[in-house]
Amino acid sequence: MSAWSYYISTLAVYFGVDVLSGISLNLQYGYAGVVNLAYIIFQSVGAYVAAATALGPDTGAGAFQHYIFAASLPFPIPLLLATVAGGALAGVVGLFSLRRMRRDYQGAIMLIVSLIALQVVTADVPLFNGSNGLTGVPRPLSFLPVGPLAYQWVYAGWVFVFCAAVYLLVQWLSRSPWGRALKAMRDQEEAASAIGLNITVLRLQVFVVGGLIAGLSGGLLVEYIGAWSPGAWGYAETFVIFTAIFVGGLGNYRGVVLGVLLVPVVFLQVTQFLPQIGYPGLMDSLEWVVIGLLFMVCLLVRPRGILPERKPIALEGSSLQFAAPGLLHQLRRRLRSL
Amino acid sequence: MATANPRAAVDIPHGAVGRAEASTTGAGQPVIAAQDLVVSYGGVVAVAGMSLEVRPGEAVGLIGPNGAGKSSFLAALAGQNRAARGRVLLDGKDVTRLPSYQRARLGLARTFQMTSEFANMTTFENLLTAGMGVQGAALSNVVLHHRSNRAHNREVERQAWAVLHRFDATHIANLYGRELSGGQRRLVEIMRCLMRSPKVLLLDEPMVGVAPHLVARLVSDLKSLRDDGIALVIVEHALEVVKEVSDRVNVMALGRLIASGTYEEVVSNDAVQAAYLG
Repeated sequence: MSAWSYYISTLAVYFGVDVLSGISLNLQYGYAGVVNLAYIIFQSVGAYVAAATALGPDTGAGAFQHYIFAASLPFPIPLLLATVAGGALAGVVGLFSLRRMRRDYQGAIMLIVSLIALQVVTADVPLFNGSNGLTGVPRPLSFLPVGPLAYQWVYAGWVFVFCAAVYLLVQWLSRSPWGRALKAMRDQEEAASAIGLNITVLRLQVFVVGGLIAGLSGGLLVEYIGAWSPGAWGYAETFVIFTAIFVGGLGNYRGVVLGVLLVPVVFLQVTQFLPQIGYPGLMDSLEWVVIGLLFMVCLLVRPRGILPERKPIALEGSSLQFAAPGLLHQLRRRLRSL
Repeated sequence: MATANPRAAVDIPHGAVGRAEASTTGAGQPVIAAQDLVVSYGGVVAVAGMSLEVRPGEAVGLIGPNGAGKSSFLAALAGQNRAARGRVLLDGKDVTRLPSYQRARLGLARTFQMTSEFANMTTFENLLTAGMGVQGAALSNVVLHHRSNRAHNREVERQAWAVLHRFDATHIANLYGRELSGGQRRLVEIMRCLMRSPKVLLLDEPMVGVAPHLVARLVSDLKSLRDDGIALVIVEHALEVVKEVSDRVNVMALGRLIASGTYEEVVSNDAVQAAYLG
C-alpha cells in the first residue's frame, strides 16, 4: 500500500512540475506565438542553480562533484534563485534570438540553443559536474516532523501551492490588456506593430515570464528528486509538454492541466505497465514514437485541443465575460459569498 | 515608469468617432509628407523618388497599374518598408528611421492589402487591443496599476461600442476575426484604426472583398472620416471609389509619380492612359 502511495505521490509531484511547464509554454506559444523549443534549458538552469546553492561548497575532502555558485543557502532561497536564473537566462537567450524573424526560424534557433546548452554542460565539468550531474541535493522541507511517506505528500502539496498561484497569476495576465497584446502579436505581427505594439519587447517579456516559471519548476523538481544531470533534460522533453498543451487546448489553462494529466502522466505511465516486448529499451523508444503520433492525431482530429481557447463575450454596459468564468473569478465570487 | 491611469489613445466624444487630434502644424500644413522616397528590394527599385503631401481633412487617392509601387510606397510611409533614400515627415517630424510601431504611436494608422484582422480574437477584442494605447497594454502598467486601470478599461470599452454603433457592426462584436466575411474584415481593420484616433489613415485597397452593397456605405464612412479632419491616403483599384472619396488623385507607374490633380484631370491625362493601357 505504501508503495502505491509513494508512487502516486511521486506522480503528483511530477504532474505539478509539468503543469508549471505547460502554463509557461502555453503563455509563450498559446498566447504569444513564441515557439520556445528550448524550454527545457530554462527549467534545467533553475534545477542546477537550486542544487548548487543548496549543496554547499564543492571543495575539501570527499568532494566528488564540482559546480559553480556553490553555497549552502537556507530554504527557500535556492528556489528563489532558481526562478531568477530561469528568467535571467531567458532574458539573455531572448535578446539574441527573438529578433524579428519567421516563427519557424525562431523554433529552429531555440532547438539549436537547446542542443548547444546540453553539449556545453556535459563537456564543461566544472560548470555543473558534466554528464554525472549533481546529486545529494538536500530536502528543503526536512525540518518538518513527518515520516518519509508523509513527506512525499507534503511536498506534492507544496508543489500544488505554486501551481495554483502561477495558474491564477498567468490566467489573470493573459486576460489583461497585455494578454490581448500578446494574442494580437500571435495572430498578426505586422498589424500588431501597426497599432503601436513593440513586438520585440512583448516577445522578450513573455519569454522572461515563461523563463521565471520554468526556473521555478526546475527548482521544485530538483529539490524533490535530489539530483540533476544532462540525461534529465534532453530537448525531446520539451516536445512532451508541447504535445500536452496541444492535446489539452492551446490558450486555455484548464486545457493545459488536462493535457498534462493525459500525456506525461496517464499516457506515459500506462506504458510502464505494459509487458516488455523486443529488446531492452524498445518500449521506451516506442513511447517517443507514440507521443509524436499523438501530436499528429491531435492536430488532425482536434486542432484546437480538447478544451479550446475561450471566447470572451462582450455585452454593452458590462465588462468582458469569458464563456465560462475563470478560476480566479470563481474563487473571488466564493470568497464574497462566505 | 508607467502612468497610473493612462489616457486612451483615442478620445471619441458623443459619437464623433475617430476625430483626429488637432495638428500642431495647423490645417494648412501637411500632416504627412514623403520627400523623394526610394524603396528597393535587393536590386529592384519599387519606388523611385516619390513625393507626396497630405493635409488634415484631405483625402488623396493613389492609383496606378499593378506593380506601380503603390503598396510599397504606403508601407514606406507606415514604416513596414525601410526607405533607401528620402524622408517621411509626420506632423513635421522626421520619422524616416522610426519603426512602424513608433509611427503608429505618433498618429499614423493603416490597413493592409491582405486583411490583417487578429483572426483568433473577437471583433471587440480587436478594437480593445488597438484602443488600449501603449501604456494601457504595458506589462508594468497592468501589474502595478491594475486597480486604477479599471476606469480606463471601461472607457476604452465604451469607445469600442461607440465605434461599433457608428458602423452598425454590433452584431459582429463577438465573432472571431476568422468567422467574418471579407467585407467585415475590412471594416474591422478600419474600426481598429479609428480606435487609435489617427491623424493619418493609410488605406491599401480597402474595397477588395467588400460586398457591393457595403461599398457605398464604406465610401460614405471614409468621407465622414475625412470631414472629421483625418488625412486619408487611399490606394484603390475601384476608380469610382477613388473619384468619390478623394480630393486629389496621384497616379504612379514604375515607382514614379506620373500625374497629379483632380480625378477628371488625371483620367484624361495621356501618360496615365498609356500606363494603364500599355
